[in-house]
Amino acid sequence: MPGTDGERPSDAELLRRHVAGDSEAFGELFRRHRDRLWAVALRTVCDPDEAADALQDAMVSAFRRAADFRGDSAVTTWLHRIVVNASLDRLRRKAVRPAVSAADEQAFEALVAQGSDPARATDIRLDIDAALRILPPPQRAALVIVDMLGYSVNDAAAILNTSTGTIKSRCARARARLLPYVAHLRTDTEFKGGNRSASGSVSPAQGGDA
Amino acid sequence: MSHPDTSVLAEYRAGLISGRRGAKIGAHLAECERCAALSGQLAEISVLLASAPAPAMPDSVAQRLDTVLAAEAAKRHDSERSGVRAPRHRARDPRRSRRDRFRFVTLRVLAPAAAVVAVAAVGYSLIHLSGPTNSSAASSAAEPAASAASSGLRPAAGTNAPASKAANNANPLERPSASSPGFTVISSRTNYLRSTLVQQLDEAERQAPAVTGTAPTAQIDACVSRVTQASPGTPKLVERARFQGQQAIVIIASSGHTAWITGLSCSDTSSDVLAQTALP
Repeated sequence: MPGTDGERPSDAELLRRHVAGDSEAFGELFRRHRDRLWAVALRTVCDPDEAADALQDAMVSAFRRAADFRGDSAVTTWLHRIVVNASLDRLRRKAVRPAVSAADEQAFEALVAQGSDPARATDIRLDIDAALRILPPPQRAALVIVDMLGYSVNDAAAILNTSTGTIKSRCARARARLLPYVAHLRTDTEFKGGNRSASGSVSPAQGGDA
Repeated sequence: MSHPDTSVLAEYRAGLISGRRGAKIGAHLAECERCAALSGQLAEISVLLASAPAPAMPDSVAQRLDTVLAAEAAKRHDSERSGVRAPRHRARDPRRSRRDRFRFVTLRVLAPAAAVVAVAAVGYSLIHLSGPTNSSAASSAAEPAASAASSGLRPAAGTNAPASKAANNANPLERPSASSPGFTVISSRTNYLRSTLVQQLDEAERQAPAVTGTAPTAQIDACVSRVTQASPGTPKLVERARFQGQQAIVIIASSGHTAWITGLSCSDTSSDVLAQTALP
């Protein structure tokens, strides 16, 4: 049978079955990819409640619009695109994090002040999550997809529906901007003692978004 | 050549700068230790981000999404059986097609709203009864309520009009706490400012005993437990106010020596701390 791999149907096959009326197929497709989709939503909107709402919007939309999927990209790319768009829509509509605020940087300072131990994975995650908040959403979405989820620049361009040049540019700006904020998480001794004083010698990228 | 800016180095690393300018930067990197180190640090950011553990989807969110998708499937099944989507009907008389399409759209918009409201209500009570699902941080007696609050069963976008009752019920900030946390929440119009924060907090703490508060919601209870983890005990002040113009929750620790200001999304899973300060 085309589109199947042994007993496990491919993503495209599940989507085809869903469109054909199989009531279980879409749920299976979602469960298969839900952790990655959750990671994209959570890291794009930086808030668990908003991420859950964005993911719900996205999955209901994907469920209803499945017949529009033309197969010109992977099913996962299509799903990620819908989730990222729903997440960015939420940020725009509800202004959860209006632009880049001083409050975000303050939140980051507060997290660091709580005395996090860089050796602990959860602290690293909390610190990275806090640092990501300072990025404008389009830069954050690009960086999350490429650096955190490991998608290629080409795939990221397809997910965000933009050019590869724009993805590279957003990622580059985002990395430059994050540098002073994550320097204290790096493991080498050179930075361990100096932690955030690195911002004195390293100038973060100035404002603006692609 | 002067030292290139960090953002220029990042763009160079991403392959965005080529030609003569790219060659100049490459040559500079070969002889400037400082910029070469900076370039290495930029490369490490990608490594660091890739190594950050991915957050697992909380059980409450997984359940909620499963429920929503099951409702979508059931609804589609029902609408197909009742003939709403039968295309032959429209094809028979082309002049009626526009009106039928209008009806079809109306049903497609209204039916989901009703279904989601019902599912949200059922889903909420199920989770409420089943207690905590994936609550990790808060270890107080408020945990079951906090877990229900963080599950935040809100209807999908586009269905708000008929769903207002469910939406009110589902707003975790408005849902009462099931436990007795021993503090009340004051609501004020104070706009705390970073520049005058300590003085304002001092004033608020002195006036707090004279102000009548209300019982905290489950979410505020969970938020306070999480934020004051390092300084447990009944907080001296919990106040809904503003900080730098945006709505916020102000918490002064039982010791009176630390204060936190959080955003409204503060819960048992995310503290959303906007500011933290020591008090004299």
